[in-house]
Amino acid sequence: MIKLINVSKVYVNGSLKVPVLHDINLEIDDGEFVAIMGPSGSGKSTLMNIIGFLDKPTSGTYELNGTKIDSFHENELAKLRNQHVGFVFQQYFLFPRQSALKNVAAPLVYANVSRRKREQKAKEMLEKVGLEDRVNHLPNELSGGQKQRVAIARALVNDPEIILADEPTGALDTQTGKQIMDLFKRLNTEGKTIIVVTHEAEVAKYAERVIHLRDGKITEERRDTA
Amino acid sequence: MNIVENFKIALSSIWNHKIRSFLTMLGIIIGVCAVIIIVAFGTGAKNQMTEELFSADKNIIELYYEPFPDETGEAVWTEPELTEQDLAEIQQLPGVKVAMGTNYGWGTLTHHDRQIEMDITGVGREYFYGRKITLLEGRYFTKMDIDNVNRVIMIDDFTKEKWFRDEDVVGEIVDIQGNPYKIVGVYESTIPPEYRWSESGEALMPRTTVSLMYFTPEITNMAILGESPETLAETAELAATRLTEIKQLDDGMFTYWSMDEWEAEFESFYNTITLFIGSIAGISLLVGGIGVMNIMLVSVTERTREIGLRKAIGATRMRILVQFLIEAMTLTLLGGLIGILIAYLITFAAGQILPFKPVISPSVVVIGASFSALIGIVFGILPANKASKLHPIDALRYE
Ligand SMILES: Nc1ncnc2c1ncn2[C@@H]1O[C@H](COP(=O)(O)OP(=O)(O)O)[C@@H](O)[C@H]1O
Ligand SMILES: [Mg+2]
Repeated sequence: MIKLINVSKVYVNGSLKVPVLHDINLEIDDGEFVAIMGPSGSGKSTLMNIIGFLDKPTSGTYELNGTKIDSFHENELAKLRNQHVGFVFQQYFLFPRQSALKNVAAPLVYANVSRRKREQKAKEMLEKVGLEDRVNHLPNELSGGQKQRVAIARALVNDPEIILADEPTGALDTQTGKQIMDLFKRLNTEGKTIIVVTHEAEVAKYAERVIHLRDGKITEERRDTA
Repeated sequence: MNIVENFKIALSSIWNHKIRSFLTMLGIIIGVCAVIIIVAFGTGAKNQMTEELFSADKNIIELYYEPFPDETGEAVWTEPELTEQDLAEIQQLPGVKVAMGTNYGWGTLTHHDRQIEMDITGVGREYFYGRKITLLEGRYFTKMDIDNVNRVIMIDDFTKEKWFRDEDVVGEIVDIQGNPYKIVGVYESTIPPEYRWSESGEALMPRTTVSLMYFTPEITNMAILGESPETLAETAELAATRLTEIKQLDDGMFTYWSMDEWEAEFESFYNTITLFIGSIAGISLLVGGIGVMNIMLVSVTERTREIGLRKAIGATRMRILVQFLIEAMTLTLLGGLIGILIAYLITFAAGQILPFKPVISPSVVVIGASFSALIGIVFGILPANKASKLHPIDALRYE
């Protein structure tokens, strides 16, 4: 379970202070499917990065499964990222010179998993996302949708409880975008907490809960019971 | 930490920038190559000279005459003639196991239509024992051969193999400078196998015969086989003093080749060369190291995204640091290995032409390789540290 209490984020650029998030209070339970919506520049990515331990809030408290992580050391945060979350980005961010298999297996390297287990696990994940026949392809030999599915397989490989996706369909056509969202839906029914950042209402429809961000504040929270 | 994985990443990143990597390695290649080559040449030359001057037997020492310079500073070269009596005197001295007297000749040995250039050593019978000459065929020289100035010759197996192959040579008559000599024996060559590249082998003759045929004194060189290597220098000193005494010399003296002295002399010469080429190599390695640092800094910037992503999927600072250190190390190690390979080829080729054989010892290769790896680590620290400090968010946002 994720709990943000009075979380603020202020970027400092020289003498210029850019406040991005103001006193955010947010709770996300295990197994939820949450969409974070808002116009460009509203702080969606910033919020997602904080949720995913990539960034630290300027003030406020973050509790993960009841543990305060505010004072965690860099190395502990790296471990949290490795064990508890999987990231999916709009630009896929795959290693361009490594095969789909290697890309998917990469997080396991940092979890000190043996090579054989890594490959076995990565293959399983590629099967899960329907890419069992693209195991040895390089990213540039894959379509956008396939690349994003490799990225999702990578996010899943360490069996984290939370998947964080920052505009995962932003670079895809509508049809492919739908397939990706269906995949997230399926993962959600299998028990993963899914948090998707988007500015498309179509995408947000998949979520059972939509959080609107405006001017660094959660201005609206609505529960859909679809 | 997964060293193997890092190593693979490093190799593929080097492979992806072949030309850039090679140019970066050039300084390391040249530096390592130069160092290996000087060491190889130095070792080879030293081995060769040691072999020549002291033979394989460390228990043998040669005495020689050294004239005093006259008032103009020039040495007058009237070498005192040594005789059988002198040899017998020296033989009496404590610590002397065998006193050997030799002289030298040289000639073209003709047998039917074959001609061989030969170095000829004129010997007495004590030589066989002193130099541990092993007879393979025929016989040694007898006392009669020496006393009667017989025209007999012994050749080494190297010469036999090279020029007579499987023929029976004992009893054959060969011609040297128009005179017939009878081959009475074949002995095991004292030339170490690695120096048998020259065309000619060795031959022995009674020193009385050499003296007659070449108009040289019966004994021009005296060598001593000592009782033990520890007291050898002492014994040589004693013998040299005694010889000077016997010959009542006032315009020169007998002295001996001391291993230590000679080694010190060679060392200082060798050190000068080493210092010179070594400093060039050092500069090359330094420049190479800075080149590696530079290219690694570029690589870190180019791969900001990759670093951000690795951090996002759980890499700690340490992991990133190690990855880039290993990459820098792989680059320089590869350069070092290429340098060693080139040095090996050059010394091999040079060994075919030079009168001595450069020697690359395994320890030099290991040191060369480790040192080049070390350069990578030292000059990789700055870029690797820079990479490890990148903030994942900034790195992922980087365009
Ligand atoms: N490192 C940074 N330094 C300064 N300002 C930043 C930095 N990162 C993001 N911002 C600013 O924070 C705001 C929110 O950014 P972001 O979270 O990426 O928004 P979104 O994802 O909703 O488009 C933007 O105005 C952006 O310019
Ligand atoms: Mg964004």
